[in-house]
Amino acid sequence: MQESFRLDILKVGEVATIRTIDEAVVPSKFFELGLLPGTTVEIKHKAPFSGPIGLHIHNSNTLVAIRKSEAIHIFVSK
Amino acid sequence: MTNPIIALLGNPNVGKTSLFNRITKLHQKVGNYPGITVEKREGTLKSGNKTYTIVDLPGTYTLFPTSLDEEIVFNTLADKSNKFYPDLVVVVAEPNNLTRSIILYQQARELGLQAIFVINMIDEVAAKGLDIDYNKLESYLQCHVYTTDARNGKGIKELIRAFDDRPGTYTGGFNIGSDYATIMEEAKGLFPLLTEYQTWQFVAQDKISFLSKELNDAILALRAKHQLTASNLQKHEVVRRHKTVDKNTEAIISKIENKHLTKTNVIDKYLLHPVFGYIVFFLILFFTFQLVFTLSTPIMDWIDENFSALIAYTSTVLPDGPISDLITQGLLAGIGGIVIFIPQIAILFLLVSLMEETGYMSRVVFLMDRWLRPYGLNGKSVIPLISGIGCAVPAIMSARNIENTKERLLTMLVTPFMTCAARLPIYIVLIGLVIPDETFMGIGLQGLVLTLLYVLGVVAALVSAWGLNLVIKSEHKSFLIFELPSYKTPDWKNVITNIWDKTSSFIFGAGKIILAMSVILWVLGSFGPNDKFSEAQKYVQQANPILEGAHLEEKIASFKLEHSFLGYIGMGIEPLVEPLGYDWKMGIGLVSSFAAREVFVATMATVYSLGENVDIEDEGQRETLLSRMRSEINRNTGLPAYNLASGVSLLLFYAFAMQCMSTIATVKRETGSWKWTIFQTVMMTGVAYIFAFIAYQTLK
Repeated sequence: MQESFRLDILKVGEVATIRTIDEAVVPSKFFELGLLPGTTVEIKHKAPFSGPIGLHIHNSNTLVAIRKSEAIHIFVSK
Repeated sequence: MTNPIIALLGNPNVGKTSLFNRITKLHQKVGNYPGITVEKREGTLKSGNKTYTIVDLPGTYTLFPTSLDEEIVFNTLADKSNKFYPDLVVVVAEPNNLTRSIILYQQARELGLQAIFVINMIDEVAAKGLDIDYNKLESYLQCHVYTTDARNGKGIKELIRAFDDRPGTYTGGFNIGSDYATIMEEAKGLFPLLTEYQTWQFVAQDKISFLSKELNDAILALRAKHQLTASNLQKHEVVRRHKTVDKNTEAIISKIENKHLTKTNVIDKYLLHPVFGYIVFFLILFFTFQLVFTLSTPIMDWIDENFSALIAYTSTVLPDGPISDLITQGLLAGIGGIVIFIPQIAILFLLVSLMEETGYMSRVVFLMDRWLRPYGLNGKSVIPLISGIGCAVPAIMSARNIENTKERLLTMLVTPFMTCAARLPIYIVLIGLVIPDETFMGIGLQGLVLTLLYVLGVVAALVSAWGLNLVIKSEHKSFLIFELPSYKTPDWKNVITNIWDKTSSFIFGAGKIILAMSVILWVLGSFGPNDKFSEAQKYVQQANPILEGAHLEEKIASFKLEHSFLGYIGMGIEPLVEPLGYDWKMGIGLVSSFAAREVFVATMATVYSLGENVDIEDEGQRETLLSRMRSEINRNTGLPAYNLASGVSLLLFYAFAMQCMSTIATVKRETGSWKWTIFQTVMMTGVAYIFAFIAYQTLK
């Protein structure tokens, strides 16, 4: 098992796979939009000053934006 | 027999609305769902000898609602006694993301609904790098799969023929799993008549508005007993379904490189760039408002001229008397006051719906969220706030897609501070009166003041949001997740229907009130409670025996107004508005414009021209009014009624005060609470009073 870290520390262009999501804090809407354990995501955009993060979800080919405040509860590994 | 009801169900951004427009050929009406103001798009379709009712449900990802719009979807599909419970659900998908659409389709089928599956935007299959095995997909979904392209009408005929499809019973689907066996066993006692999945749906919903309080409480108690939350159950289903559907469709859908997204990526490199992105956004904003004003000005001038001509013509045709006055000064002037706003509203919504259609609006949310969050707002608040520059009514309605209750409430409470189109005529008239037409460091002073008033609106909205954020408690944690759809060329049909919906809601919603107020005002100003009004000439001549000619006429006119119903109301509130630097005539303007701000200008015109023969053909109506207002003396101070101090005070009053019955009505409908509605009105008008008071007392 690889080391996992918070999604928000990834830089633009980095690709990672979601390992765990803190279900107690992250709303189910995130799951509905395809942010699930096992999904591979690529950081596409980051708004300045810790603004939203734009993620490309690989298997569904969609671009989704989330806030840093939820990204810190999503753990990924490269 | 009632018409079969066909409901369109789908994720956002799948082109569902385009499809709806194609199917109904624009035979549609936009109304509201009973009791709440989620837009209800309903249309009819005649095909052969049958008529179908088509309902366009709001876009949703699953049947678990997180916003009002999504709640409608669940209520329509899960409640068999719902008026729009469909005979057939058409699940609309787009080729890029079939998994999410399949999940929605399965949920609908397992709830016991008849459904067919449509892949819209089929022309993009190749561009999106996909290959779909339709035969396999049909047997997997246990229904016919149709393909359409709503933009060019491809496949629509075939789809309409399928409206009599009833695919029958659906087998298989969601396996709840052993972890939840006990809670499900107990839940069956609550819903003895339902299938297993229906029961599961009810147990996994936060709150079900169509069930009794007892049942809701029972569900709540059941979950509490098992130490589960609705969110736990929802996530469980969503994760399971995603996994299964992804696995099952592996052999059905094959993917190569997505060319579409590549193009979107290239555009986003610029539009979401930390620096250029904001430059582009502010340029777009700047051009939007430039366009709104420059494009609408000639049209508004044209309407103004023609209405004046029409009023003048009507008054020459009709015999003199109260009926003629009612028609020209009450009715026609009122209609003119509504029509004049149409160009601005239409152009604003043209640009807003273009931003929505192309997919740029989500980018705005992405760019702006960081800057609005500190004020307790959400990136999605940008849309209501920006639309508030047009009219607060549609703007407040557009706050619906904000999931978080508190952020939605905050957005609705502060949006009316934004400088709406109705404030503009007041600003223009007042600035023309009290701000000198000079330049300061090469900048026109009048234009500068107007700009400052717009900035003031934004500042007031943000500061009050910040303050309210500290006071109002949140029910849910704030979160934000939204899709950035790939860029598309706009579907003009959608743009045009959207403009029509918004403009007509202004004409028939706010317009009604404006018209009614104009007529009421005319009546109040044309009649008085005692003989001082009817016998004005006698009283005036008795008091001033030496007056004659034009001076006498003027004196009589103002005496009449003073003793009309309107005059008595104005004088009644004079003590209240005197500290702000207003006289009773301006008081009348304030009272009447409580209905709608734009009424102020019309009222002032009525107040100052009642009993006078305004020769419109001889001079422009506005100039007449301006010069009339300039010469007006405040009888309390002996100074011109519109001097710098009272003018600035009045400008500030209108910048802050909740002077709009349509907005109040909308807020009541949207918040569902009189408490918040009254709070907002009192807060805004209170702030307005304080600022106007300070301004007048320091400047006088």
